[in-house]
Amino acid sequence: MKNRIRELRAGQGWSQADLAEKLDVSRQSVNAIETGRYDPSLPLAFAISRLFGLPVEAIFTPDQETA
Amino acid sequence: MAATKHEKRVGGVYLRELGGALLVYMVLLVAAIRFGRPMADGALRTIVLLSPMIGFCLGLWAIARHLNRVDEYVRNFLLESFALGAGLTAGLTFSYGFLETAGYPKLSMFAVWMVLCGATGLVCTVRSLRQR
Repeated sequence: MKNRIRELRAGQGWSQADLAEKLDVSRQSVNAIETGRYDPSLPLAFAISRLFGLPVEAIFTPDQETA
Repeated sequence: MAATKHEKRVGGVYLRELGGALLVYMVLLVAAIRFGRPMADGALRTIVLLSPMIGFCLGLWAIARHLNRVDEYVRNFLLESFALGAGLTAGLTFSYGFLETAGYPKLSMFAVWMVLCGATGLVCTVRSLRQR
């Protein structure tokens, strides 16, 4: 899954630690999600969506659209 | 880089709980060696010599509670690492079983625990380094 978290975070002027603090997760999690090594669960994806004020589908896009 | 509030909270509780379990283990281990070994054979001696396992079980409980507190990515990472460490331990100890048949010295079952700790630590370290 691709995501725009790095771009959105940079737009807010936040560091990975700042974003981790706001989401109440570890920095490793933010780094793993940003680099595409880990796809967050739905609750975390919705928390990210709420934080940036964007719908989930505007932040996350599947690598390949399935039928 | 400074730890986030989440990391501090989770890490602090884990250290306290695991440290407490280790303390209980050490106290019971010393007591088992001091009082259990000289006792006459019987159920009471078995119970006293096995008593350090109370601390060990508290340690397992601390780890289980830690896994419930960490965030989903860290939980996933740790559980995968534990599984790989257990698989590596199974492979190593199984291999050594064949080596014992080939004449290598018989080892205590305590060795399995040490191999498990070493294998899990190695897996966690290698995976952490690879993700940097």
